Amino acid sequence: MTVTVSPIYLFDVQRGEAAAAELWDAITERQLADWEAEWLPELFSAVQRLHRAGVERRLWPQSRQWDWRRKVKVLQGLLAYPGFSIVCGGVTQGMMIVDTTKKRCRIDTQNGQHLVYVEFVENAPWNRPELVDPPRYRGVGSILIRAAIALSQEEEFKGRIGLHSLPQANGFYANTCGMTDLGVDPEYEGLRYFEMTPEQAEAFITKGNQP
Amino acid sequence: MTKKTMTLNLTDAEMRVLEELCAKKDLSKTALLRQALRLYQLVEVRLEKGDKLFFEDDATKEKAEVMML
Repeated sequence: MTVTVSPIYLFDVQRGEAAAAELWDAITERQLADWEAEWLPELFSAVQRLHRAGVERRLWPQSRQWDWRRKVKVLQGLLAYPGFSIVCGGVTQGMMIVDTTKKRCRIDTQNGQHLVYVEFVENAPWNRPELVDPPRYRGVGSILIRAAIALSQEEEFKGRIGLHSLPQANGFYANTCGMTDLGVDPEYEGLRYFEMTPEQAEAFITKGNQP
Repeated sequence: MTKKTMTLNLTDAEMRVLEELCAKKDLSKTALLRQALRLYQLVEVRLEKGDKLFFEDDATKEKAEVMML
């Protein structure tokens, strides 16, 4: 597998400065090993802290049930499901799998058009402010969304993307990314569906790293 | 990512359908055929696993199997 690695920057919260990082257009064995050896222990520690603090189970991070190794194995080799990852400090900081083929737009003005659908996206547990205070790096989610927009533009979908959001991320997609909230999708585990138009994609790219 | 170029020979009818779909989806011929290839691979892999391909009527929920020969 040929992997294209692009230089990017995350924000190191504790140091208060930019940190050189890499965007990979793949999820490789290295990412899966990081997920097993680094992410999972941290994630379960965070869940344990929430449990001991009396936080209701429905408020625990739902991605704790995701098995990235199984997802990658099932989708390996399929052109319709490219993956992306971010590496910083020698460790994987985020992963994303998108669907370029099966989903279509729902917003009236672009109904039926092609889009890049973000199937799974996850930030490393130590980067999630709801789990760790302060988080280690900021910018992972935004860069992965930009990668989905760039792929959409490359495929001539004009930057259109869509996704179902886990409850903890609704604000990020609505406010930071400026996506349109099409409400709860009763056919998708009751999650809210968000979609981005070409104009919203352009605005998000132009905005850069501003919150 | 490097890309390779190929020549594609189509009948008039095939070219007409391709151009109609390109206009409808606002895609170039290349983008549309890449999309078709991804979908074809996905369907083929699922069929090889023993899955079936269905269309479902959104209103009636009636399912019709697509016969793949």
